[in-house]
Amino acid sequence: MRAHWGETLMGFVVLAFAGIFLAYALGVTGRSSTGSYEISARFGEAGGIQPGAKVTVSGVKVGAVSSVTIDPKTYMAVIRLSVDESVKLPSDSTAKITSDGLLGGNHITIMPGGAADDLKPGGEVANTQGAVDLFGLIGQVMRPKSDAAPAAASSAAPAPKAATDLPEM
Amino acid sequence: MATPKLEWRGVSKRFGANKVLDGLDLSVAEGRSLALLGRSGQGKSVTIKVALGLMVPEAGSVLLDGVDVTHQRERERRASFAGIGMLFQGAALFDSLPVWENVGFRLINADGVPRAEARARAIEALGLVRLAPEVADLYPSELSGGMQKRVGLARAIAGQPSLLFFDEPTTGLDPITAGAINELIRDKVTSLGCTAVSITHDLHSARTIADDVAMLDAGRIVWQGSASELDHADHPLVRAFVTGNPAGVE
Amino acid sequence: MPHSAPGGVIGWVNALGRAVLDGVAAVGRVGHFAARGVAAAVTPPWYPRQILGQFMAVGFLSLPVVGLTAWFTGAALALNIYSGGDRFNAETVMPQIVALGITRELGPVLAALMLAGRVASAMASEIGAMRATEQVDAMFTLSTEPRRYLIAPRLIAATVSLPLLTLLADLIGVAGGMQVSKLLIDLPYSIYITNTVDFITRWDVESGLIKSAVFGFIIGLMGCYHGDTAKGGARGVGRATTSAMVSSAVLILAADYLISSIFARL
Repeated sequence: MRAHWGETLMGFVVLAFAGIFLAYALGVTGRSSTGSYEISARFGEAGGIQPGAKVTVSGVKVGAVSSVTIDPKTYMAVIRLSVDESVKLPSDSTAKITSDGLLGGNHITIMPGGAADDLKPGGEVANTQGAVDLFGLIGQVMRPKSDAAPAAASSAAPAPKAATDLPEM
Repeated sequence: MATPKLEWRGVSKRFGANKVLDGLDLSVAEGRSLALLGRSGQGKSVTIKVALGLMVPEAGSVLLDGVDVTHQRERERRASFAGIGMLFQGAALFDSLPVWENVGFRLINADGVPRAEARARAIEALGLVRLAPEVADLYPSELSGGMQKRVGLARAIAGQPSLLFFDEPTTGLDPITAGAINELIRDKVTSLGCTAVSITHDLHSARTIADDVAMLDAGRIVWQGSASELDHADHPLVRAFVTGNPAGVE
Repeated sequence: MPHSAPGGVIGWVNALGRAVLDGVAAVGRVGHFAARGVAAAVTPPWYPRQILGQFMAVGFLSLPVVGLTAWFTGAALALNIYSGGDRFNAETVMPQIVALGITRELGPVLAALMLAGRVASAMASEIGAMRATEQVDAMFTLSTEPRRYLIAPRLIAATVSLPLLTLLADLIGVAGGMQVSKLLIDLPYSIYITNTVDFITRWDVESGLIKSAVFGFIIGLMGCYHGDTAKGGARGVGRATTSAMVSSAVLILAADYLISSIFARL
C-alpha cells in the first residue's frame, strides 16, 4: 500500500460524487414514491403489452405492468398491474389496452367506475377491453371485401362509414 | 540401512521430445549434505523441482522419509512438505512484500502464526543470516544480490526445516560474497542438523557445503562419492570438471 | 516440417486442422484453469489480506477511471440523442434513452473494457513476472498454494468489484446525461431524474449487473491465465500482458452479445 494517496483520494471523490447524486435523486423521487398493490386483468388480446408498460388513469401514470402471462385453460392473457396505493380504484373499473400513438407502444388505461367498494389488492378488474388490431382495421378500410367492391365503386359512402369504426387514438 | 531422508526412484521427465531425466536413482541419508554437480541443461533443476512437487514425473517416484510424495493431493502434500526449505537461484523473494513478510511467509500464510509473532521470528531468522533488524522493513528491490540471497536463506530456514534445497546458491555473486553465502549455508545446515541438497556447477562451492557429491549427466547419476574423493575420481566427466578441461568429454 | 510439408490443398487442410485442434486445446486449458480457480475461490483456506488488497487494486483504484468514462458516455449519449434524435422528436425522451443505454449496455461494457485495460493487463504482468522469477514456485515450497494465494483473490475481487463499479457507472452516467440535458434543452434536474426513475425498471439495472459479474470474472480469469502461462522472460510477460487485455476485451464483447440474446428471450 505505498504511494497510492493520489488515487485513493480520487476514489473517494468519485464515491462522494455518486453518493451526493444518489441522495439528490432519491430526494427528488422520494416524495411521490409510496407503496403499491397488485391487481390483475384478463384480456382477449394483449397486443404487445410488456412488463414495465405504464398504467394510467385519465392520462396520469399510476402504476406499471408487472407481468404478462397466459391462462392455459381459457387462452386469455393475464396481466398483473402494480398500482400506486394512494390510487383506490372502484370495483367496476374498466381496464383498456390503448396505444400511445400510431407507432408508439401500448399502455393500459383504467377508467374508474362508480361502485362504492374498491378493488382489493390481488383483486381482478372485471371489465376489460383488449388491444385493437389497428392494422387489421386499416386493412379492412383500405381493401374492402371483393364482393363489396362494385358497390364501393358506385358509392363513396362505405369508406368514411368504416372509418368511424376506428377507436379513438 | 536406515530409510534415506529423500530418495528418487527411477524418475523420468521429458519436455516434448527432450528427455531431461532418464530413470534417475539417487538418495540422501538423514543429516547429510549432497551436492548435485553437472553441466548446464543436464536436468539438475528438474531433479530438485520433481522432489519439491513443482513438476510431476512421467515415471518413477520421490520418497520423503520413505513415503511416496509424487502424487499426493494438496492437503497431504502441505503436511509432508512443511519441513522443507528452498533457496532459489534468484532468491525469488516476493517483491510486493517487505523483507520480514517474505521471511515469515510460511509462518503467516501456512502455519497461521499471528503477524506480530511472525515478525519477531522473522527478525530472529534474519539475525541467523547476519542481517540487521532494520532490513526487515525494506522491500526486496532495495537490497543487493547478496543480501537478497541471505533473505532467501533466512526464509528457507525460518520454519526450522529438516530438509533444505539450494539452487545455484552462489551464481551471480562476487567471490567474497559467494564465500560468505557458502559458509553461511554450511553453518546453518550443521547447526540445524538438517539434510541438504544443493545444485551447483561451482566445485569450490560444492566442496564447502557438501559431504557427498553426485554427478548428473544426460538425466542419470554417472558418479557418486564423498566431496574429498572428487580429486581422485577416475570418471572422465568428473575429471573434466575438476581440471576445467573439456578434453575427453564428448 | 519444411522438408516434408505437403503442398497445395492438403497443406492448407493440415494447417486448418492443426489450428482448430490448437484452438480446442486452448479452450480446454482455459476451462480447466477456470474450474481450478473457482474451486480455489470457494473452498478454504482463504487469504483475507490478499482478497482485500485485490479489492483495493481492482475495485477502489478503478473508481476514477470508471467514473470519468461513465460521465462522458452519459453526456455524449445525451448529446447524440439531441442532435440525431430531433428528426423524430426523440429529444423529449432523452432521459429514458440515456438511462436505458447506460444501465443495460454502456455502463457494464465500458466499465468492463476500462477494467480490462487497467486490471487484466496488470494481473497478467504481475503473475507473469512472479512466474519468471520463480516467485510462484517459491510460494509453493512455502506450503502456500499459489492458486489460492494469487489466483482466487483476483477472481473474487474482479467478479464482485465490477458489478459495484457498474452500479456507480450507471449513477454517474445518468448524471452526465442530466447535465447535458440541462445545458441543451434546459430540462430541470428534477424532471430528468423523475423521468429516469419512472421509466427504468429493476430488471434494466439488474441485467446490467449480472452481465458485469460475468465480465469481471472474464477479466480476472484472462489476467491470471495469461500471467500464469507466460513463458520466456520479459518478452513473454509483455506478450501475456497484451493477450490478457485483448482476449478479455474480445470475450467481454462476445459474452455481452451472448448474455443479451439470452435475456432477450426471457
